[in-house]
Amino acid sequence: MFEKTRVSRLTSAATILRRCSKPALAAALLLLAGCATTTQRIELTGDIMVDAPNAIAHGPPRDRVLWEYRLAAAAMRQGKFDVAKQNLDDALTTLQGIYGPDPNARKARGYFHAEAKKTFIGEPYERSMAYIYRGILYWMDGQPDNARACFRSAEIEDSDTENHQYAGDWVLPDYLDGFATAKLGGDGSDAFKRAQANVKGLRLPPYDPKANVLFFFEFGRGPTKYATGQYAEQLRIRTGPSSVQSARLSVDALKFPVAPTDDVDFQAATRGGRVMDHILGNKAVFKTATDVAGSAAIIGGSAAILADRGRDATADEVGAGLIVAGIVSKIVSGATQPEADIRTWDNLPHYLSFATVPLPPGPHVATVEFLDPAGQPLPRLTKTVSFDVPADGKDKVIFVSDESLTPQKS
Amino acid sequence: MTKFALAKHRLPLAVLAVAGVVSGCASSGVRNPSGAPVTEMRPDERGFVAGTGVESQDIVAVTDKMFRSLLGLPQIANAQGVPRIVLDPVINETRFPINKDIFLDRIRVQLNSQARGKIIFLARDRMAALEHERQLKQSGQVTSSTDPNVSEFKGADFFLTGKLLGSTTRTSAGTSDYILYDFQLVDARTSEILWEDSAEIKKQGLEDAAYR
Repeated sequence: MFEKTRVSRLTSAATILRRCSKPALAAALLLLAGCATTTQRIELTGDIMVDAPNAIAHGPPRDRVLWEYRLAAAAMRQGKFDVAKQNLDDALTTLQGIYGPDPNARKARGYFHAEAKKTFIGEPYERSMAYIYRGILYWMDGQPDNARACFRSAEIEDSDTENHQYAGDWVLPDYLDGFATAKLGGDGSDAFKRAQANVKGLRLPPYDPKANVLFFFEFGRGPTKYATGQYAEQLRIRTGPSSVQSARLSVDALKFPVAPTDDVDFQAATRGGRVMDHILGNKAVFKTATDVAGSAAIIGGSAAILADRGRDATADEVGAGLIVAGIVSKIVSGATQPEADIRTWDNLPHYLSFATVPLPPGPHVATVEFLDPAGQPLPRLTKTVSFDVPADGKDKVIFVSDESLTPQKS
Repeated sequence: MTKFALAKHRLPLAVLAVAGVVSGCASSGVRNPSGAPVTEMRPDERGFVAGTGVESQDIVAVTDKMFRSLLGLPQIANAQGVPRIVLDPVINETRFPINKDIFLDRIRVQLNSQARGKIIFLARDRMAALEHERQLKQSGQVTSSTDPNVSEFKGADFFLTGKLLGSTTRTSAGTSDYILYDFQLVDARTSEILWEDSAEIKKQGLEDAAYR
């Protein structure tokens, strides 16, 4: 009779477990299915000028700014400055309106949504680059004061870092801020001093307001992002040496060496910590804790049932309850998403630089050679630009990348 | 809870669990998940998308103040003859790229509609088109009601211009932007500043922690 009672109690515990586990499992499946989002898959061709407009039009809205950034950079290298302007303006409008409550950002901070759920606006170095490119385009359009506004915003985007040692330390935006001011008849010396204080191993040329041709250079491959940590919750920046270390500009009979003024890899790597890093760290701790608690509950519940050997119905129920709780805890742990957002503006350059030249009105031809670390030209990267200096006194602005099309008519 | 109680309540418990999960996941915390239809707003109204820079309600408020201030200027109100004014584009010294024409254009429109002919603005931004028309008249390609060889383009009595200055603070507590909108009426003959007025606006905001 005792044996019959023991068997019947074991059967009861198993029945309870079975009956409770089904609703719990159903709820968990609904949790995972209900929270999953469906997005239209964008087929990439590898041509950014095709993929980006497609992604912007049909892809997830949270990635729109990322594609606009990429398209703008590629468009500038192809001389399609109107396309670059349009996309940067839309991206910067989004960037400038990020204040206040944001449902997607709030979700990204939650346990069960990845950081990549938020609208992409970029890390500070990416936002700064968006403003730098837009500033170049404003100067091309004869608006040096609006260009200056963009360069100032580029520095502001870099100004709030955990490690204030590297805050606002871009060189070119400060230098161009002061240069634009000098061109407009003001005193750019404060901005010049800030730029000179941040540049390494270079003496910046003093401002020449008579210099009416401005060259902007970019070269090398820029940084990318990856994640480390047990759950890929730690955002890291990947940088590497550049095959292009400097450039040489020849225009008319003049030759100028062009040394890098800004290192985009350096700006990316010295961002310091983010508030989001702490949130992701907490998510990782929660994921681990619920996983461990779930395992302990399952083991403890099983042990309780086995140890009881059907003698105590209450113990069986407690054991069953622990197992169910353990399963739920494991499911919650599995649903927790602490992964860092590694979406990257992946066609940024490594280096930026700048040169100014006074030239008479009329047609001119410039040749830009990009040099390796030994100072030797890389012939396949040499660019030729034909341009006309206007007679009305406006500045002529020329953008040259080691990825630009050549020959170019500017 | 006994096994009978559990068994009795399993269906309601399961339903509760499902309801909780479904209601918790479906568009949880998402404002306007279906988007928002286009609505027309007043230009001086603050929209739901806002930054710390120059926005339409700022342009309206600033230009309204400037136009009212200009209208009361004795050199305008009591002028002998009708003063002629040229717009000189504002200088932007803030960190926000702006449409530089929008401020002066709006002041001009307000003055033209309210000043009842007491001020005349000269369309210097149209000079290329006007000179081309004069050339056509001079060459006889088009007719002219007056002698096209006489230059009748008017000179300016005053220049209306302005400057936008800004100051920004950005820390982990947020971003704060102050903008001073400064406008002047300058005598074209003597360079005297006959009128000056300003407006100042300060805004601050903090982005979600996910962006910091």
